[in-house]
Amino acid sequence: MEDEVRKRIAEMLDSGEVTAVIALKDVLGMTTPCVFKKGDDLSSLRLSPHYPLATLAMKMHKMDPEYKIAILCRGCDERALLEMAKRNQIDMDKLSIIGIACDEETAKDCNCSVPYPSCEDLIGEKLEELELGDAFEDYKRMSTAEKLEFWKKQFEKCNKCYGCRNICQMCFCKDCELENELWLKKGRLPPDFPVYHLIRAFHLAGKCVGCGECESACPAGIPLMTINRLLRDDMKELFDYVVGNTEEVNPLYTKEEF
Amino acid sequence: MSDEWEPKIVGFLCNWCCYAGADMAGTSRMHYPANIRVIRVMCSSRINAEMIIKAFQTGADAVFIGGCHPGDCHYVDGNYRTKKRIDLLKRLIEHIGIEPERLRLEWISAAEGEEFAKTMKELRDDIKKLGPSPLREIAREAI
Repeated sequence: MEDEVRKRIAEMLDSGEVTAVIALKDVLGMTTPCVFKKGDDLSSLRLSPHYPLATLAMKMHKMDPEYKIAILCRGCDERALLEMAKRNQIDMDKLSIIGIACDEETAKDCNCSVPYPSCEDLIGEKLEELELGDAFEDYKRMSTAEKLEFWKKQFEKCNKCYGCRNICQMCFCKDCELENELWLKKGRLPPDFPVYHLIRAFHLAGKCVGCGECESACPAGIPLMTINRLLRDDMKELFDYVVGNTEEVNPLYTKEEF
Repeated sequence: MSDEWEPKIVGFLCNWCCYAGADMAGTSRMHYPANIRVIRVMCSSRINAEMIIKAFQTGADAVFIGGCHPGDCHYVDGNYRTKKRIDLLKRLIEHIGIEPERLRLEWISAAEGEEFAKTMKELRDDIKKLGPSPLREIAREAI
């Protein structure tokens, strides 16, 4: 799979279709995001672990909107790019996608129902019918009081490092409400229950692409994706909205009745 | 005065309908429980999730939001936005372990003073049955 990607990248750079390719590479045994240009050695290219590369593409696009970039793209990365495009953060016409499909293990790890991008020349096997099961079965059986107890324990571990926000592909606001002293006093640890996490969860409703980066970035190991996924299901149930579709706007931003 | 526990309710009322409705209830000398602390806002869609979450965090037993009837919004479509936002927020607070009944959205017009008084009684009774907010104990001294 890696060789196939290398071939594709080399073709794109040599033909001049794109000037740079955003991908991952191996540096001294560690994987890091990087930008490949024409003539670069592609042998150090890596495909895993997954990393939010869409943020890099957005930042590069903002620096120079005319720059032609290609990006290594998983299902979640593509959803992130589409949501960014809807919010005028990136121009999809200036972007080429090298789509790679996730394997079964990764997809199950992320509880991802669409572990592949929608592009035609996909690299890797497309997993369309994946048995995921209900990951929240135990959680949903809890009573209201038990849920509160559960989250109280989880959120108490938070040391307000903002890691979940910083790694998030969909957190691109210039002014973040989580830094507003109106809602969250500075210097208070753990942050007031449940303000920090509820504000973040609510702001990500209809935005969260389900990449799971916040959860893996959290040093305290708070199961942040649980709440994001629950809200994702609610968005589907209440407004029939699925993150990553190309046309629909997040119903929370529109005036239409439901 | 009895020592019985009384819920504290934070009310966000839209200037054009619900606030005028509450005013109507007052000028018509209707009786309704004094549990609500009213905050006047220009439109119910002015209320964002942060405000409601903060109200709960600082120890409110319930949050009431009053807006104009659908189609009657002074700003044309504000209340449709409110409806969607509150529906989702109800789900979110339920996931976290706060009863969704503690967040209530009602449409009350400027002429419905009686409706306002009735809603306040209902809300007070409902919250009394539920008991104090679970966040009250853990709410640290805020502000």
